Amino acid sequence: MITETHGEETLYFCCKGCQGVYHLLESEGLDTFYDKLGDTKLQPATQQHDDLEKFDLEGFKNKYIKTTEDGLNEIYLIIEGIHCSACVWLNEKVLHKTDGVIEATINYTNNKAKVVWDPDEIRLSKIIETIRSIGYNAYPYDPALQEERAEKTKKEYYARILVAVFGAMNIMWIAIAHYAGYFTGMEQRFKDILNVAEFILATPVLFYSGWIFFRGAYYGYKNRIVNMDTLVASGALLAYIYSIYAMVSHNGEVYFDSVVMIITFVLVGKYLEVLSKKHAVDTLDSIMGSTPTEVTLVENGEKTLVSVENVTMGDIIELKPGEKVVIDGIVTQGEGSFDESSLTGENLPVLKQIGDPVLSGSICLDSVIRYEATKDASSSLLYSIVSLLEESITKKPRIEQLADQVSGYFSAVILTLALLTFAGWWYFGGAFEEALITGISVIVIACPCALGMATPMATLVGIGMAAKHNILFKEAGYLETMAKSDLLALDKTGTITEGRPSVVNQQTFEGYDENLLYALVSTSKHPVSEGIRRYLEKNGKTFPPVALDAIKIVQAKGVEAVYEGKKLKGGNAAFMQASGIACSDDTAHTLFYFAVDGKLAARFELSDTIREGAKEAIANIQRMGIRVVMLTGDHEASARSVADAVGIKEVHARLLPQDKAALIDTFHEEKHIVVMAGDGINDTIALARSDIAIAMGSGADVAISVSDVVLLDEKPKSLYEAYRISRRTYRAVKENLGFSLLYNTIAVPFAIAGFVNPLVAALAMSLSSLVVVGNSMRIKWLKLK
Amino acid sequence: MSENIVILMLGISTFLGALGLAALLWGLKTGQFDDQSKFLDGARFDNEEELRDAVMMEEKRKAQKKKKEKKDAYRPAD
Repeated sequence: MITETHGEETLYFCCKGCQGVYHLLESEGLDTFYDKLGDTKLQPATQQHDDLEKFDLEGFKNKYIKTTEDGLNEIYLIIEGIHCSACVWLNEKVLHKTDGVIEATINYTNNKAKVVWDPDEIRLSKIIETIRSIGYNAYPYDPALQEERAEKTKKEYYARILVAVFGAMNIMWIAIAHYAGYFTGMEQRFKDILNVAEFILATPVLFYSGWIFFRGAYYGYKNRIVNMDTLVASGALLAYIYSIYAMVSHNGEVYFDSVVMIITFVLVGKYLEVLSKKHAVDTLDSIMGSTPTEVTLVENGEKTLVSVENVTMGDIIELKPGEKVVIDGIVTQGEGSFDESSLTGENLPVLKQIGDPVLSGSICLDSVIRYEATKDASSSLLYSIVSLLEESITKKPRIEQLADQVSGYFSAVILTLALLTFAGWWYFGGAFEEALITGISVIVIACPCALGMATPMATLVGIGMAAKHNILFKEAGYLETMAKSDLLALDKTGTITEGRPSVVNQQTFEGYDENLLYALVSTSKHPVSEGIRRYLEKNGKTFPPVALDAIKIVQAKGVEAVYEGKKLKGGNAAFMQASGIACSDDTAHTLFYFAVDGKLAARFELSDTIREGAKEAIANIQRMGIRVVMLTGDHEASARSVADAVGIKEVHARLLPQDKAALIDTFHEEKHIVVMAGDGINDTIALARSDIAIAMGSGADVAISVSDVVLLDEKPKSLYEAYRISRRTYRAVKENLGFSLLYNTIAVPFAIAGFVNPLVAALAMSLSSLVVVGNSMRIKWLKLK
Repeated sequence: MSENIVILMLGISTFLGALGLAALLWGLKTGQFDDQSKFLDGARFDNEEELRDAVMMEEKRKAQKKKKEKKDAYRPAD
């Protein structure tokens, strides 16, 4: 702790970095930052990086910096370390005060900043340095990524919906006057005023808000497909044209209100789809954003910074401590430990020596290493995972495709029927007006509302229900796939169990010192060490800091250190036996030994606790007729004991990540629809292969992004609830579809026969929509938890 | 009742509503709703200092534009 007297006050700083930041802010007159912080705690200011020069390189400039018409430069940055609105305020203020910066806006929600500056006055490296000097970090991100596009469509839809809702709401109250007049009698001159007002309001809604449907219909026409858009567009347009005709000729009723309602309803449904897609894209960007775009290449003893795309096989790359690997390769010089937790889920650092492979996505922890690239960037592991994700986001679920296809046929049939009706009536009846009115009735009565809303409405209610119970479905179609599934594959660690071993049995011998053990296990991040640490910390105990020397972490064995000449060792049986300490290991649990100066001081048995309610949830799922299978990388004995405890009969143990994926494929061949639940990166491939992937909320980022469903509360019970909600929703979808088909088969012949005028048709259509909405709302009656 | 009254009532109320809609669309277009939390914080961090800051940024922008015009003006004729 550093203290400093400042006038009458005494200020406390945790480190030099924070003190520096304080003085910098004070001299700029920005020290109100600390008042704005409120109760938020700050992270200590991090150390400087020495990679500033790369921001001024030509390659960097071409990739990220955009030049505006005014000759200004523009870049999108992700600011790291923002945890409250005061941080946003501070960064903006500091940038505003920097000469040459013309604009700086930071989005608090996603930490993305847009900075515009004058390249004649300041360089980008200076701007980044400024951000770093106040304790934050910034890295560029490519706005050409999906996010920008998704954001744009979202805004576009939003504006169109605003116009549509405005139009719909105003036309509604005019329509009320209209209907009132229809039943009580109204003079034509007043009717005309109302008609014109409705016409004025309906026009922008049809052509601005409904533009999306016209565009969709046009693309459909170009690809020779009749789609939902075609029906919406043609129905709305024809009703609109007919209404104009009715308005001018004083002949019949106007249907501007139907036009607006059709557009508004279907548009809102589409917008919700766009929203869920944007959410998925945000996760993807954060993975890509943290990957370096350049690597240090070593050629003839000279180091150069090269863009990742330009690295070829055989190039020698240098890694500094803390850097993330982006290209796969083999170590040629030096040795050091790597954090592969984001790839394997294994928390323990892995030691890599000459000849060992280095995987992209891992982080070099402690030393400078040179390695030879064995793959180029696009075929490296990290990129293949990311491109896999991108694909899964843009791909439509099978079910939705089918629904589109069916409604496409339906639309085509209705359009043909309407045309035939019109032609028939004109030919046999001879009256053009009557024929036109009947033809439009057919389109309006069959207008896709009920059919189009059957699926989205029910799934919307289902998704909302699920979200309320901490189950996030990323897309509507997943509810249906999940409802149809008949096989559930579960990962053991982290899914059925908590993934955090805890001490179940403790034995202490002579020479045992809790303080020393605590200090020793605190040096390691291995789950077992953390389990011991949690056990010692139980009952709110605190331990005085103990200065350990010569700390060494031995891969897959344990930790050793020296304290005041005493040799401390902690680890598994193999580690003890290697040092000549006798110990037994006859137990089903994980063992941890602690030895002082070659003598055993303590023995702990740890086991991974099974999540609460796992047994009941699995029993319930099995009762639904779903086959439950356990897939794990662990050995048979421990897998079997967990499986027996929760009642799973089928267990596959000792599986590597690709084995898990291969098993999922086998299940597919047996014509099963597979739901897989897992949490680690080692499950990612299997998750991606399964029809529905479920991730636990605290799982690895990559696992969450490949998954279709996320369980935020991590309870096995939610798994069961997810099944129930999806089955209930699917039933509602089937009911809705059945109803709307029944409605159409009854109503359309009536319309063709000419028994229905367009007003009744519009009423019937609205009623059928109401039935669909009402039926969907019934999902909410489902009792959960 | 004359038609004019109905026309006036309908016209004025729809026009007022349309004004509100236009303002909303303008706000959306200029990105004022992009960041929900910032939108709310705007009220918290609203004081004289912020106003001065906004003016400063405006002036910076103007100065930059002027500089650019000057530079353009001095360019020799092709």
